[in-house]
Amino acid sequence: MIKRLYQYRDLLLVFIWREFIIRYKQTSIGILWAILQPVSLMLLFTFIFGVVLHTTQKDYPFTLFYFAGVLPWTFFSGATIFSVTSLSSNFHLVTKIYFPREIIPLSGVAINFIDYLIGLAVYFLFLLVYGIPFTWNMLWLVPLLGMLVLFTTSVSLLLSALNVYYRDVKLATTFLIQFLFFATPVIYSIDAVSNRWKYLLFLNPLTFIVENMRRVTIEGREIVFWQFAIEAIGVILLYQVIYRVFIRIERAFADVI
Amino acid sequence: MSSDPVITFSHVWKKYSKQQVLNNSLREELISFMTGKKYDDDLSEGEFWALNDVSFTVNKGDCVGVYGPNGSGKSTILKLISNVTYPNKGMITLQGRVAPLIELGAGMHPDLTGYENIYMNGTILGLSVKEIKYKMAKIVEFSGLSDFIQVPVKKYSSGMFLRLAFSIAVHSPADIFLFDEVLSVGDNEFIIRCNDKINDILSREKTIFLVSHEVDLLDKFSSCRLNIVNGRVDRCQV
Repeated sequence: MIKRLYQYRDLLLVFIWREFIIRYKQTSIGILWAILQPVSLMLLFTFIFGVVLHTTQKDYPFTLFYFAGVLPWTFFSGATIFSVTSLSSNFHLVTKIYFPREIIPLSGVAINFIDYLIGLAVYFLFLLVYGIPFTWNMLWLVPLLGMLVLFTTSVSLLLSALNVYYRDVKLATTFLIQFLFFATPVIYSIDAVSNRWKYLLFLNPLTFIVENMRRVTIEGREIVFWQFAIEAIGVILLYQVIYRVFIRIERAFADVI
Repeated sequence: MSSDPVITFSHVWKKYSKQQVLNNSLREELISFMTGKKYDDDLSEGEFWALNDVSFTVNKGDCVGVYGPNGSGKSTILKLISNVTYPNKGMITLQGRVAPLIELGAGMHPDLTGYENIYMNGTILGLSVKEIKYKMAKIVEFSGLSDFIQVPVKKYSSGMFLRLAFSIAVHSPADIFLFDEVLSVGDNEFIIRCNDKINDILSREKTIFLVSHEVDLLDKFSSCRLNIVNGRVDRCQV
């Protein structure tokens, strides 16, 4: 993919820049939305589960627990929802001009990643405020981010390509995202799940990513390496298969869109 | 005029489907992806040949007029040249960079200013950001819109939009230029401008494809003509 995109790097950058500008054009608080969105969701969860329902989530501070889950989730769902219709709504480009089609969904992943990084900076401020000690184990966040981006890219490529053929995909995605929200430990902890369901949940790479993001940042513990290896290989294989299929069916996009 | 062929079509066939929902196409793609089996040779239900055994060559410095009624396959030929779509049978060989000006202003976003859209549209046409920066002044000057360049293009009139788009397009460093129905939309002054620019492009040994359903317009510019009728092509000199 990198080799294929190198020649078109300027186009990719301009696409990202364009989406970024359009997103915040004619808004009054602009880029602050990148912070406001996850923070308000975090506050909402903290209020509902902490104050209204009186549940406890391990011994983590509530706000940190939900913030750590909400950030990767907002990135994944935001990028996916953006990508699904990205190819089909840019049909005037797809049918007129050649460029590697993955640039369009990828730019969606990229702008959501920029928002995510801004949110992450705020998250680290929160860690500071709560007096969480910074350890070397936090560096595990980097491979976890890599996994998250790769997985999000795979899902975005697949759904955007399928939506070129069947507009059902767009409609099904709404449900899929809601389903994945509950299949990912954003508002609960995996420790509260019985063993039988636990293994099933770990088939969803997001479960592993979200759980371990909490673990390495809030607890400062390291990741169990064999678990990481298995999940990482799974995510890489998934990407390889999806990208190959994408390249293959991309040739027909202009004819069927 | 030199005689290096820049574009060669040899026995090109292209089929399209009349059906709305193409249930077959994805399945066929995936099966041929896994088994290597091809579905390209025969027509299935609801399909037709948009191009029918098309062969021609175009040399460097040619200005080719492509003429035919609506739906005869003119745009399909341009799409094949610019790699937007691929032939089912036959071979296409290209030499050089293609500026796919199939539709002027493709990729322009209404909320972005003219200045911002020059970057957007320019990179889509294959310019690098560096090249655009270098040519920015020229592009703006040629469009004659320097007073409006910081205005979102949604506030442009259609004429202004066209000028900007054309100006970006002709500053592309490509070797092969494709113009689809571009000339039929402009006013007289615009046509004269196009005329000068096309002659300028041709004098630099580039190749131009002009598509139109108006013969007179084509013959004014082009050195040879491809007549397309029902997916078959005849070549004639002007």
